[in-house]
Amino acid sequence: MNAIDGTDRQIKTEEVPPPSLLAIVLDTNPHAWAHLSSTLPLSSAVSALLVFINAHLASGNANAIAVIASHTHRAAFLYPTPSSQTSKSNANGDVETNGGEKGNAALENPNKYRPFAIVEQEILNNLNSLLTETHELHLTSTPTTLVGGALSLALSYIAKSTLLASPVDTLVSENPLSALADSETMHAQRVPLTSRILIVSVSGDLANQYIPVMNSIFAAQRKRIPIDILKLAGDTVLLQQASDATGGVYVKPERPEGLLQYLMMAFLPDVTARRSLVMPSAGGVDFRAACFCHRKVVDIGYVCSVCLSIFCSPNLPDNLCLTCSSYLSLRSAQTATPALIPRKKKKKKRHGADSATPGGSTPVGSSTPLHG
Amino acid sequence: MADSDYEYMEDASDDDYIGDKVSSSTRAHSGAAGGKKRAQEKPRKLQAWETSRSVQKITESIVQEVEDGTRHMSIREKEEERKRKRLRKDTKPFQRGIIRHVVLVLDLSEAMLEKDMRPNRYITMIKYTQEYVREFFEQNPISQMSVLGMHDGLCIRVSELSGNPADHIAAIQGLRFPRDPEDIPKEPKGSPSLQNALELARATLYHTPSHGTREVIIVFGSLLSLDPGDIHQTIKACVRDRIRVSVIGMSARLKICSEIVTKTNAGDESEYVVATDQELLRELLLATTTPPVVRTPQATAIPAESTAALMMMGFPSRVVEDIPTLCACHGILTTGGYTCSRCSAKVCSLPITCPSCQLTLLLSTHLARSYHHLFPLRNWAEVSWKRAREKGSRECIGCLTVFPEIPDEDGESGGNNGRELNGVDRMQADGDDSEEQKASESSRYECRVCESHFCIDCDMFCHMVLHNCPGCLSRLNPASEAQSSRDVEMTG
Ligand SMILES: [Zn+2]
Ligand SMILES: [Zn+2]
Ligand SMILES: [Zn+2]
Ligand SMILES: [Zn+2]
Ligand SMILES: [Zn+2]
Ligand SMILES: [Zn+2]
Repeated sequence: MNAIDGTDRQIKTEEVPPPSLLAIVLDTNPHAWAHLSSTLPLSSAVSALLVFINAHLASGNANAIAVIASHTHRAAFLYPTPSSQTSKSNANGDVETNGGEKGNAALENPNKYRPFAIVEQEILNNLNSLLTETHELHLTSTPTTLVGGALSLALSYIAKSTLLASPVDTLVSENPLSALADSETMHAQRVPLTSRILIVSVSGDLANQYIPVMNSIFAAQRKRIPIDILKLAGDTVLLQQASDATGGVYVKPERPEGLLQYLMMAFLPDVTARRSLVMPSAGGVDFRAACFCHRKVVDIGYVCSVCLSIFCSPNLPDNLCLTCSSYLSLRSAQTATPALIPRKKKKKKRHGADSATPGGSTPVGSSTPLHG
Repeated sequence: MADSDYEYMEDASDDDYIGDKVSSSTRAHSGAAGGKKRAQEKPRKLQAWETSRSVQKITESIVQEVEDGTRHMSIREKEEERKRKRLRKDTKPFQRGIIRHVVLVLDLSEAMLEKDMRPNRYITMIKYTQEYVREFFEQNPISQMSVLGMHDGLCIRVSELSGNPADHIAAIQGLRFPRDPEDIPKEPKGSPSLQNALELARATLYHTPSHGTREVIIVFGSLLSLDPGDIHQTIKACVRDRIRVSVIGMSARLKICSEIVTKTNAGDESEYVVATDQELLRELLLATTTPPVVRTPQATAIPAESTAALMMMGFPSRVVEDIPTLCACHGILTTGGYTCSRCSAKVCSLPITCPSCQLTLLLSTHLARSYHHLFPLRNWAEVSWKRAREKGSRECIGCLTVFPEIPDEDGESGGNNGRELNGVDRMQADGDDSEEQKASESSRYECRVCESHFCIDCDMFCHMVLHNCPGCLSRLNPASEAQSSRDVEMTG
């Protein structure tokens, strides 16, 4: 009797793979792509990326995509198109998703699945307008890219999408304890959105965005969003740590030309599929810290207890912290074990309390009568 | 008796309200007649309370019809206001005690059997504290905690001072479901003793380094404390040891608790709070995960050098091994781990104090996890319709959600004048960060640095989880400005 409807249906819902949202952060730093142009020009990288996006969309009915460009002077959504962007391109006589001659031509190609064509069109248009609005001034002002901003955009977009997909879930994550009361009932019915972030990175040094990127990493960690890194050029410890901390994939291909291959093999499986696959891992991750004074990598550092700045030597000018200028004592840095001399204390404590007072004599609190 | 019933009937026909009252008073002692009387009531016209409510219902529906739009808005605003209340009220960068040593004291006395929290206080507390411990170490990765319990006038140690959340969670769990099947699960009984708890907490915190905080957080359900000696001596000793005590009480305030809290917090009583229901208990517990503001040395009469120190820390590298070797922390064979930067002992996990040379070992990411306490993201301002029109914002920068349409200027000046003025007022109070966070009439929230507009969900996400402003970070210039304005003015 039971088997007729209720139970069958429940099993069915569990079998469907959860919808997956992939947020791609594309590093469009012109400096770095110029270096790469002989092996992998940006245009072929983008077309490889589009194939990859189509593959992701095709592997699940409810799968969604967001593409964010991390450029030199701004980080911007490439897909979905911001409405401010749409109006601008309209004014320029450019293509909109449904109108325009060029767009129509591409969209009406009978050999292309229409949703793919729309996504491709929007990404290409937005990328074009982003690149055309880049002036020399922007390029000379900074050699790096706004990965911190792009990551923050991706995370807030994912957070909102998760919220829209299952409103209960966010309530839980917002106040982590409220879930406890009725967690049993909720787990049964919710099909959460699984999300992940892929950063296609070509830029090297990101040290100027240390704190924002770190904050993003922790946010991703808390929300269980893996950050995958495809490092085509350059090298940053920061992104290695990002993928390591969030359980993402880190790939630094030796031959960037094979971009599509790497994308399809290493990054297409979503979180659900990865559980049953052996994913490439970063191996050794450099966890050592760089000192704030010389950016020297240190094994043993001296940390200001107020602002947590790391210094490579304990001899600071006037014993003042270089970052927050607090007066720092060195006592605790050199006396290794502070738990040595609790002699005098004991008497006071005994005086204050009678025999029932526990934990008076040793820090371990052995005098406490422990019974149930 | 029968007479009184008849009287009632007459009354009812005259005046519904009085009739109702009489009926309830007679019913109390009429007993058997009650059933018959109720049967007679039926054809009677509506009771006063019934009619009044239905009238209210009608007026309500009228009101709703008249100002449907605005009323809908106010419900939305209420919702957003409730959400925003949870934002940190003060985002000024204070010097905070990042390295915390916390003793969490749980009340295991019979008062915890009270059922005003479901299923009872004890089970609620056990549930919430486990979650709390996890959140605490999420927010304070380089801190230490110990859990104590009070029952039968004693204070027992539930878990030792350590930085490993799993230990504490297992220990708290073990109170109800002991891992050793021989043990009987702890049921709350007897009376608590604040003095014994403070003494044991003091002993626990005694040897902690001076640059860290020493905190005692007491979840206290009872309305009494059974102390063996003079608790005032203990309070004095706590003040001397610069221990600060926070108390989360239940159901009522106690003089002795407020005295403990006031004395150990340099006259500040705000650390004594009372949870009236389980939601509040959860929120109050969570509130203590934010590191406390470091008081100026004058207030605590502590020499300046002991509050700040340069700490020697090791940043070990991870080793990958094919052959298992002994770890220094558990003494078991493991593959891989981290080697101490000073003595090369292998440890399993970080952060940890090296078991052989006592060096604090951690990753630089552990330090980075605390940065958002030091450089908090400023709260965003509510946006009036006027401001929204000025900026012409149509969608959230962070998630591209479309905002509600900005109403026409003339239409608004006619009908919505009061609201508009209100909005202007709010914008004027703009500079003040510490005021209560309210809902915005236009559903937009503006970052004061980059002037981007965000939706409520992004507002909550960015301030509670991300601690970044996506607007500031996705532009080159505001980003650098933001960085400089985020520079901290530290006092200390
Ligand atoms: Zn240095
Ligand atoms: Zn400092
Ligand atoms: Zn071990
Ligand atoms: Zn060591
Ligand atoms: Zn938003
Ligand atoms: Zn901003």
